Amino acid sequence: MREVSLLIPCLVDLLLPEIGVHTLRLLRRLGVRPVYHREQTCCGQPAINAGYRKQARKAARHLIEVFEGDREIVSISGSCISTVKHRYPELFEGDPSWRARAEELASRLFELTEYIVEVLGTEDVGAAFEGKVAYHESCHVLRALGISEQPKKLIRSARGTELVELKQADLCCGFGGEFANSFPRISEAMVKEKQDRYLESGADLLVLSEPGCLLNIGGYLSRHHPEKRAVHIASFLAGAGTEGAN
Amino acid sequence: MRPATKAFKAAADRELDDLASRALLSLFLQYGSAMRERGMGTFPDPAAALELGAAIRGEVIARLPELLEEFERNATARGARVLWARNAEEACALVVELARERGIRYVTKGKSMVNDELGLNEALEKSGVEPIETDLGEFIVQQLKRPPFHIVGPAINIPVEEISDLFMEKAGMKAPSTDPVELGYAARLFLRGKFRDVEMGITGVNMAVASTGTIINVENEGNIRFSKSSPRTQVSVMSLEKVVPSMDDALHMLRLLTRSCMGLKITSYVTMDSGPRKEGEIDGPEELFIVIVDNGRSRVYADLKAREALRCIRCGACLPSCPIYGKIGGYPYGWIYSGPIGQVLNPLLLGLGETRDLYQACTLCGSCKASCPAGIDHPALLLEYRARDAEGGRALEGGKRRFGEARLFDLWALAVRRAWSWNLGARFLRSILNRNQREGVISSGAGLLSGWFLCRDLPALPRRSFHELARELEREEARPE
Amino acid sequence: MPSDAREEILSRLWSAPRRGVSVRPALPPLPDLSFGLEQMIDKFSSDLTALAGSVHRVRSRPEALDRLTEVARQEDLTRVVVSSDPLIASLDLVDWGRRTGIRVFSAADYGDRDSFRRAVFDEAQAGITGADYALSESGTLVLAHRREQARLISLAPILHIALVPVESFRPVYESVTREVFEGREPVPSQLTFITGPSLTGDIRGIPFRGMHGPRRVIAILIGA
Repeated sequence: MREVSLLIPCLVDLLLPEIGVHTLRLLRRLGVRPVYHREQTCCGQPAINAGYRKQARKAARHLIEVFEGDREIVSISGSCISTVKHRYPELFEGDPSWRARAEELASRLFELTEYIVEVLGTEDVGAAFEGKVAYHESCHVLRALGISEQPKKLIRSARGTELVELKQADLCCGFGGEFANSFPRISEAMVKEKQDRYLESGADLLVLSEPGCLLNIGGYLSRHHPEKRAVHIASFLAGAGTEGAN
Repeated sequence: MRPATKAFKAAADRELDDLASRALLSLFLQYGSAMRERGMGTFPDPAAALELGAAIRGEVIARLPELLEEFERNATARGARVLWARNAEEACALVVELARERGIRYVTKGKSMVNDELGLNEALEKSGVEPIETDLGEFIVQQLKRPPFHIVGPAINIPVEEISDLFMEKAGMKAPSTDPVELGYAARLFLRGKFRDVEMGITGVNMAVASTGTIINVENEGNIRFSKSSPRTQVSVMSLEKVVPSMDDALHMLRLLTRSCMGLKITSYVTMDSGPRKEGEIDGPEELFIVIVDNGRSRVYADLKAREALRCIRCGACLPSCPIYGKIGGYPYGWIYSGPIGQVLNPLLLGLGETRDLYQACTLCGSCKASCPAGIDHPALLLEYRARDAEGGRALEGGKRRFGEARLFDLWALAVRRAWSWNLGARFLRSILNRNQREGVISSGAGLLSGWFLCRDLPALPRRSFHELARELEREEARPE
Repeated sequence: MPSDAREEILSRLWSAPRRGVSVRPALPPLPDLSFGLEQMIDKFSSDLTALAGSVHRVRSRPEALDRLTEVARQEDLTRVVVSSDPLIASLDLVDWGRRTGIRVFSAADYGDRDSFRRAVFDEAQAGITGADYALSESGTLVLAHRREQARLISLAPILHIALVPVESFRPVYESVTREVFEGREPVPSQLTFITGPSLTGDIRGIPFRGMHGPRRVIAILIGA
């Protein structure tokens, strides 16, 4: 049976572990055996974003050591994957051997929908949801990794689901990690905009591929429109869509 | 323009409260992006066009000193006088001296960001030469003594009533009007008189072609054409990164510039000057001075990473692409350059210590990078500045390392190296944050993460992290059926 | 010393670390490059018309003069400034002016810049020029400014009328710059690309034509 190693983002580990469980469930349903290395911790993105590269390198080396024996690795956060693929090389600029190890690992690292559609070669995962779904294009998934068609194909294949247009779907929701806390008023204006577009879309559910976006948009909805839900695509595809994520 | 980069947050808050400004910005964001898309769509292969633009600007950066020397040689051979200025004081002194020597009473000016950077207008005024901005938007903000709202539309947010009052007071308009066309015509008449008799015109430079010694300007109004062609003396000021290798390269960058900036295939006017006027020509400048300005750029150039910022062709495409700019507009960036390019340039020219909010206030969404025809990786540069700032790097005048924050990340680095320390840290974090949880939702952090909780909730941290759940799931799997 | 600045700047740049140049991607050619004359004219015309310009087509110079007369009548012209490029010179517009009752003047009528400027700014209702090139790529006219092609003629008056021989059509910008910068003629002091009217949207984004330059460009294409 095909095995795939799971890279679970720190936000999922601490705040949204159920998404990890949904991912496991989903992969098993697709005939893949998910492997979870319990030694994993964090890709280092928070330190990199704050400019603490020395500290970030510690996280990066640990991640590389945990995962470099795996043939295929799948993650449910575009920003974690982007950190490994695009930020690790400059992190290890002065260290060719770690840099080579990072690049080697990056070549075997996939985003969930990318993995399902392109590696497993399937668009129908047996998902079902009666209603309209809007898809938010997370910044790292869309622009850093170029992934957009894959999640939408998977959503469209879900039985009973109509994928409706989300205006300005690719506009940043205002998370940006520490940004949301350091520049709260700007972040608020951005997440409100995203909420408004969601409300205007007429969708019953907002689906997205990035845990950070989910915390941000979900957290804003919880305060202002608790009747509207947002879920991670892993949860949606695993059949946990109607439960919501809040 | 005196930098106000330290007032970013306060200025941003003011702009967020200005609903009229926000409505305008929102329109601009959508309109600007749509225009750019449409413009780029006129290329048979837009992606390749962007890639070529990046390659050309990359070559400029790689060959900068040799291209500048080549440009100087060829421009001089055509009869232009090429002058060099290390900093704003030197550049202003040069231009003021040129005006003084020629008994110039007033100059007409084309829109030029580098001239704003130099504070050229103040220097001219101090020496008794009246600088008259002639781009309509620049004219308006100059007369109102107000900073520009936006790179392309400096006065676009100003109400017509205010412009009407201004034109009646300062531009000889006889009767009030709220019709933009009538107001435009009044400005035409007033500025026309200035163009007719002007003796020195000062412009910027969009591109300086090394292989031919030609300077190129783009515009829609015609005020730059007038400033070049009516007076006896033309002074064109360029920051040193404006050079391009060949005319073919200049034409490709021109195509990218006008599409990226305004969604246009080309602006109304593009003028290419190769030296002053020739024998027998009745108009055109008898003298053409080209001033090459450094003002901190050669120092930036010495830094292999920072120098990437010099690729910029000032198209402004990054502004409507930026979701943050879309909410706060140009003022909070506090200097000549606003939006993502302001976040990338101002720290290099003013120092990291003076501009901290500028490179922190970014979600790294990458929209700017995707829209850039010059191949600038804004997110990578901002991360680089954050790292230099955290490490206390002297080279870019970073501030002191923030002690508390650095210690926090040291702690984090300890936790992150082993799962057991990570899990311990997680339990600790859970106990703190969950103190305020109610029915599975945290709405306040009692001091922690106050910015987050201003408008958002967090789910209560689950009793078991994924680490702990996984252990259970494993046990379940291992259990015999 | 002025040269100190130059030396200091250049030496700082030269002593910076050197890096290689990246490979340039190939670009597919612009469609205009495969156009014949009629296609170039069509595209030019539709682009310029979209910018509130007018395009007329005549077969010969006498017809061009007739069309010019019509245009002058429509625009109520009584005083025009004209350039002295070969095409305009061959039309003898001074004579045309006598026949139509329009005062025609040119740079040669003025001994100096200032009197020329006053005439072009204050008296001329239109500027009539030839055109060195017309570009299919963007509905653009290109003027090479030399003694016979004074700059202000196509700029100061509120109307610009250009007489364009069809032989001057070119597909893309490079076709022009290669001829101008690599040809045998001396490089002109200024080469101007004119695409439609002078324009601004600086007041509330409302378009206004004729901000500083002409409000309208009228092109009369001459040739079968």
